Amino acid sequence: MHTPAPIGRTPAAADAPPAVVHLLGGTRRSIRLLGLIGMALACAPLVVRSEFHLTFMTLALYSTLLGSAWNILGGFGGQYSFGHAVFFGLGAYTGAILQVHAGLPAWTGLLAGSAIGGAAGAALGAISFRYGLRGSYFALVTLAMAEVFRIIANSVPFTGAGVGMMIELRSGPADLQFESRQGYYYFALALALVALAVSSWVRHSRFGAALAAVRDNEDAARALGIDATRIKVAATALSGSLMAAGGVFYLQYFHYIDPMLVFGPAVSVEALLGPIVGGLGTVLGPLIGAFALALVSQVATQALGQAPALSMALYGVILIVMVTFLPRGLGRLRLRRGRHA
Amino acid sequence: MSETMSEPTSNATPSAAAAPGRRQFLRVSGVLAASAGAAPGLLLAQPAPIKVGVLLPLTGAVAYPGQQSREGVMLAVEDINGRGGIQSLGGAKLDTLVADAQSQPQVGAAEVDKLNEAGVCAIVGPYASAIAFATTQAAARHNIACVLDQAVADQITSRGLKNVFRFGPSYEMAVRTGINNFHILNTVAGKPVKSVIVVHEESLFGTGTAATIARDLPALGYEVLEVIKHANPTRDFNNIALRIKARNPDVVMQANYLNEFALLLRTLRQQGVRPKAMYSIFGGGGSNPKVAKELGEAAEGVLDCNHWFNPRDKRGAALRARVEKKGLTFTHELLMGYNATMLLADAIERAKSIRREAIIDALAASTWADHFMPYGPTRFVNGQNQGAQPVVTQILKGDVRVVLPNTYAEAEAIFPATRG
Repeated sequence: MHTPAPIGRTPAAADAPPAVVHLLGGTRRSIRLLGLIGMALACAPLVVRSEFHLTFMTLALYSTLLGSAWNILGGFGGQYSFGHAVFFGLGAYTGAILQVHAGLPAWTGLLAGSAIGGAAGAALGAISFRYGLRGSYFALVTLAMAEVFRIIANSVPFTGAGVGMMIELRSGPADLQFESRQGYYYFALALALVALAVSSWVRHSRFGAALAAVRDNEDAARALGIDATRIKVAATALSGSLMAAGGVFYLQYFHYIDPMLVFGPAVSVEALLGPIVGGLGTVLGPLIGAFALALVSQVATQALGQAPALSMALYGVILIVMVTFLPRGLGRLRLRRGRHA
Repeated sequence: MSETMSEPTSNATPSAAAAPGRRQFLRVSGVLAASAGAAPGLLLAQPAPIKVGVLLPLTGAVAYPGQQSREGVMLAVEDINGRGGIQSLGGAKLDTLVADAQSQPQVGAAEVDKLNEAGVCAIVGPYASAIAFATTQAAARHNIACVLDQAVADQITSRGLKNVFRFGPSYEMAVRTGINNFHILNTVAGKPVKSVIVVHEESLFGTGTAATIARDLPALGYEVLEVIKHANPTRDFNNIALRIKARNPDVVMQANYLNEFALLLRTLRQQGVRPKAMYSIFGGGGSNPKVAKELGEAAEGVLDCNHWFNPRDKRGAALRARVEKKGLTFTHELLMGYNATMLLADAIERAKSIRREAIIDALAASTWADHFMPYGPTRFVNGQNQGAQPVVTQILKGDVRVVLPNTYAEAEAIFPATRG
């Protein structure tokens, strides 16, 4: 048995590599870790026979996608958005409109949705950052933007207004609808891995370094010659594009959308909760956060299933405890390397 | 682990695993032998309970109607088990597994998978249409019958899913009946009503209703002065009331939920707006006894086209009395939860099996007539009961009374309602 190292400090053993390893640090290690996690998750359906558990994991991966999307802007870029539902909804509605009104296959919706999400991100970023909106002002603008789009979707005829939109039931990989739970699981896994890979790239690329510099001290970053506005706009576009892919996934999985479901504040909250619990500005934070939250929600339901209101309260209490005692997120828990036992 | 096992505990129960002595072994095997001897008799007397999933929104935006529906389901189960369970299965009792959809489609769909693994033979629920789109589809994968308690959107039953059954009227059926009945009321009264304002909430239900009303009423000779949409929730109806006052319509038609329904009634009253009638189709509070009682005169004369029992069948009033005795409000959500469960029990009875396919077949061929709804025997086409219909109720002297159609009416409609 060894004594745990004090948190936030590395033991000063000069001849040995640091005994405390950052769970999420290092370029190559991060990529290797991502590959391993991807492989493990890809094998999961071979082990997980229960459809309920597979659904649970599918929804957690979907949450990971939303969390990773938000994390690129909010975690790596330090720009907290409270209205990521705007991109999610645009993706979902693009997918639905292309399928219902234009009769195009679902995969075009995925591509077009992501593109429109990216474009909307760039536009929103350009408008906000050009006028120097930061912090809570930026958060408010995103919140308002999601509401604006919710009201538009609620009013114009081609979105079905308040009635919402429903896509036809088909099944086949080309329609991105699957007979089996495994199909949706791999669909969610593919999207989540793309989001994690993009996050990993952001974390270790020059672009990511510039983004982190802008997050930590925008004025200093500008002084170093970084075009802060351009960097932030690019991050918003990237984030919006991934979030929109999440919207398309939702549409393909549940087949029905309405303005409140896809532009409502619940989506924005779901996107930011995972990274905050898992670890802001880390590659695996959203993944850890999404699974932890899904687990906590399940535990609360199992424990107090017969009293639904109480189980929600328990979920809230656990959430508060987690955020209070792990303000830097679960992903930043430090593990001790057991070399010398 | 091993330490705690060898420690003597005060409440230790004889356990075969904890190194049994000879005497203990004899005692345990004696008990086992005795119970094995008694088991066949017990099994004959008590067949395995039939697991039924109850999937409803018990928390979140539509928690109240979801909870009301659950009360209805539980009362029905109490009645079915009370009269000896499912006879064709040796008196097997219904055992409910309640799941909370949290007012979210994705949670509802995930809960279906959980109920599937728990081995339910059918699912009752999930009240809201948006949730039903997801849950019926998820249940279709497992071939589980979904008996809808409400979930009135037509698309739920028109998607070709074989496992979906709706006992009550669909949304289109209700709006058509609602408009026809309104026209009948007005025609009988000598056509005092010529203009209408529609106030509706912004989601599937309100938007769809308002659009159909605005489309169909002009063809019957009414002028739709304005269609006013409001958000959910809305806590201030003063501006809307002022707009209504300015246009001075003969009738205000509402398509919204309980709180907004009651609030608009109250605000109109405060501002002295007195249209000749208030009429709603699936109105949130138009046939709610609590609204009738609490709003007093402001609710007097309000007409609603909604789910309600046949007042000429005593069992409806008896159920209502039972609900009110428990301190609950008798609402149409509760009524429909009760009926959906009764319909399912009838199907299991005729299926003589808890096999999912057998129950789906029995529901599809259902001719259930032993109910107290104004429907006649059930006949399902694409999962929709063709005989289902809503009735028009009116709040008269602080209580909800059926006024149309005449075959089921318990009171005469006051139209135009002398308001104030």
